[in-house]
Amino acid sequence: MLATVLTKTVRDRWKGIAIGGASLALTLLFAMSVYRDIDLTIYTEDLPEAFRKLFNISEDTDVGGLAYGAVYSTYGALTLAGITLAIGSASIAGEERNGTLGLLLGNPKSRTHVLVSKAGSLVLLALAGTLIMWGAGLVVPELLNVDVEELRIGALMVHMFTIALFHGFLAMAIGAWTGRGAVASATSAGVMIVSLFATGLLPLVEGFEGLAKIFPWYYYEGGDPLLNGVDWGHLSVLLAGSVILGGLAVYGVNRRDLRGQALGVTLLDRLRAFPLTQKIVDRLAGSTRVSRIWIKTASERQGVLIATSYAMLLMGAMIGPMYNLVEDALGSFADDFPDALLALVGNGDMGTAEGFYQVEIFGLMAPIAVMVVGVAIAARALAGEEERRTMGLLLANPITRSRIVLEKSLAMGLHAAVVGFITFAGAALGSLLGGLGMSMGNLAATSLLATLVGLVFGALALVLSAGTGRSRVAVFGAVGAGLIFHLLNAFLALSDSLAGLARWSPFYYYLTSDPLLNGMHWGHAAVLAVLTVGLVAVSVVLFQRRDLRQSG
Amino acid sequence: MTDQTAIQTEGLTKHYGETRALVDLNLEIRTGEIFGFLGPNGAGKTTAIRTILDEIRPTAGSASILGMDTHRESVEIRRHIGYVPGDLAMYPNLTGRDTLTYFANLRGGVDWAHVDSLADRLDADLTKKVGDLSSGNRQKVGLIQAFMNRPDVLIMDEPSSGLDPLVQREFQAMMGEVSAEGRTVFLSSHTLSEVQRVADRVGIIRHGRLIAVEAVAGLRSKAIRKVDLFFDDLVEATVFEPLPGVREVSVADHHVTLSFDGQMETLLKLVTERYHLLDITTHEADLEEIFLTYYRDEDGEA
Repeated sequence: MLATVLTKTVRDRWKGIAIGGASLALTLLFAMSVYRDIDLTIYTEDLPEAFRKLFNISEDTDVGGLAYGAVYSTYGALTLAGITLAIGSASIAGEERNGTLGLLLGNPKSRTHVLVSKAGSLVLLALAGTLIMWGAGLVVPELLNVDVEELRIGALMVHMFTIALFHGFLAMAIGAWTGRGAVASATSAGVMIVSLFATGLLPLVEGFEGLAKIFPWYYYEGGDPLLNGVDWGHLSVLLAGSVILGGLAVYGVNRRDLRGQALGVTLLDRLRAFPLTQKIVDRLAGSTRVSRIWIKTASERQGVLIATSYAMLLMGAMIGPMYNLVEDALGSFADDFPDALLALVGNGDMGTAEGFYQVEIFGLMAPIAVMVVGVAIAARALAGEEERRTMGLLLANPITRSRIVLEKSLAMGLHAAVVGFITFAGAALGSLLGGLGMSMGNLAATSLLATLVGLVFGALALVLSAGTGRSRVAVFGAVGAGLIFHLLNAFLALSDSLAGLARWSPFYYYLTSDPLLNGMHWGHAAVLAVLTVGLVAVSVVLFQRRDLRQSG
Repeated sequence: MTDQTAIQTEGLTKHYGETRALVDLNLEIRTGEIFGFLGPNGAGKTTAIRTILDEIRPTAGSASILGMDTHRESVEIRRHIGYVPGDLAMYPNLTGRDTLTYFANLRGGVDWAHVDSLADRLDADLTKKVGDLSSGNRQKVGLIQAFMNRPDVLIMDEPSSGLDPLVQREFQAMMGEVSAEGRTVFLSSHTLSEVQRVADRVGIIRHGRLIAVEAVAGLRSKAIRKVDLFFDDLVEATVFEPLPGVREVSVADHHVTLSFDGQMETLLKLVTERYHLLDITTHEADLEEIFLTYYRDEDGEA
């Protein structure tokens, strides 16, 4: 009798899972075929223990192990868990925000029933994603004739399924308690990222090895399921955690008032009502905020901006002292480090402070951070305004459609610049705290390049948003393209015959010039800037030509 | 205004794939009039409005407002119009005043005294966030943003939805004043009574086609009424059937129900002469009934 809520949720959400699973399957195919063609002897020689731990590589690793490790272990798990936490956070809070939860509960179904159906659809969708990747994990080596007999892909997938489930239920529980989807997804994504880093880095720090066990991610990859098979102890920790979170979600959604259409009271509202601050806040939150389209747009999505900036500041500041802690474990092996492996995380030589920063902050996190804020605002800017049916009202004013697109992209640029600057500030602070003496100019140059490469994908989201009027298309399209182009750039660089093709990926123009060591590469910056401007121009054209959508 | 035409459409047509949302619409709305655009839900009213506002582009035909092409000169046109979309949505995290400030900024300023007087007349609360308002109170903010710039042409899609009767009356008075100042109101609605109360002329649209444009006075004479008569005697249907304008008589003991579009006076004279009339109620037939009665042929498929 719960079939309808369950099947409807599955129907609404299957695309994200299918696209995510298919992209990872394709990437695996690509990675294996590249690894097959390159010399891997470096990995079989004496690779330092610390590195192997960090990247989950066994002493006698081979093509299959590297490809599974590179594509599935981290990216695959992040993607799957990312999608399930999006589903989890939307399950109760999302329906509340849309005002459909009341309608749903107008039927003779209890809150518990609705939640349980949502949980059921979450499990089914996570399972579907897992099966797609598992299937590809079996088929791809067959196709390419790669020997994977020693590797337990099944075990890895079972672990991945449970870590995805865990994050989905975490987000669902937070959403059920608070009724706020953004809080749920931001918090659980934060937990995921922090625990991913902690699980990778803590074992390298003497005296803190055991601490990794308090982070969920440890129970996903701590036992190295790809090599050692299923660790039932670890699995049961994650499953028990999921069940507890599910129970908390049921309790949480039953104990509180549902949120009506009424909005929550924010800190700003309180300041606006308080006599002392009223005047200034009134000006900021009121008349200033609505004085221009771009200012109003930039005032939205503050939660994403603040959370992302905070994360980058914290990570940057922590990574300097962290380097001091792990320096001994890493430093002496600097020369042995295989380029091929590090291509994935940005080609940093981990033996130096610059290299460590590149791997931990700039290689992935910085462009992702800029992308997140850029895509969030671009998707909402045009498509969101159409889906919320305010675009008609906005366009009843004497302004051109191009001006709307341009002002909205200005807001996107502003958000990206804030995150870029914070990334720089965090990294610089970390360098000072750790006494690493890195070049401030080079840090700034790298942060700028990270901002630009992130903006390219923000602008891509703007194109999709302008062209389709659908924010989901914009988000999935831009994030998917970002993932694929990043991996393309990383893998193509490894293959002698295909290295030239890497130029087609925007990421090529980000770190190929080693800006942390060599400073700004203006030519590459120009390529990224031109690309961004070009994409914005395309969105202007697309948006002018199209019929506005009727509604969401 | 030298141009005497406020809104003109020529062969305006909009197809969505196979669906013909709007077919060959020819309209001419004069400056200073209140034009009611009447039709059942899904008739194509909103499509027509969105097309002339350049939100969507016509499959064929063209439209102009104040002599300007709705596509090529859309920005200039929008300096002169006020718009209330159907199914109005606004920015939930802004207060009413913030919302109005935003649109005022986009227009280069507004007379705030006028805004306050509008808010006063509609009893609108501009200090609350739009997302915290009920749909009727939200609608008031939407109406103010349309009226506040004293636009030459007001285009409103089902503007009185959610308003209580008192506010509706005030809103109708506001439309009347706009028209009295020589400005134009284009009002879409699915309720005949509302349009009858304020409009000078009415266009009736159904299945995407304009099937009639009438002066309201003319429409009223066409309006079928449902009349319930209560007597203290038993009555017979045959007494009423010969009377001109009487359709579909049904009798239940002391109670007669009939559809009537003749002279009320003749009906009253008949019943008061023959019987002792205890009570009479009349109410308008719904729009659908008028369509079925009068526009069966024009529409071709009803």
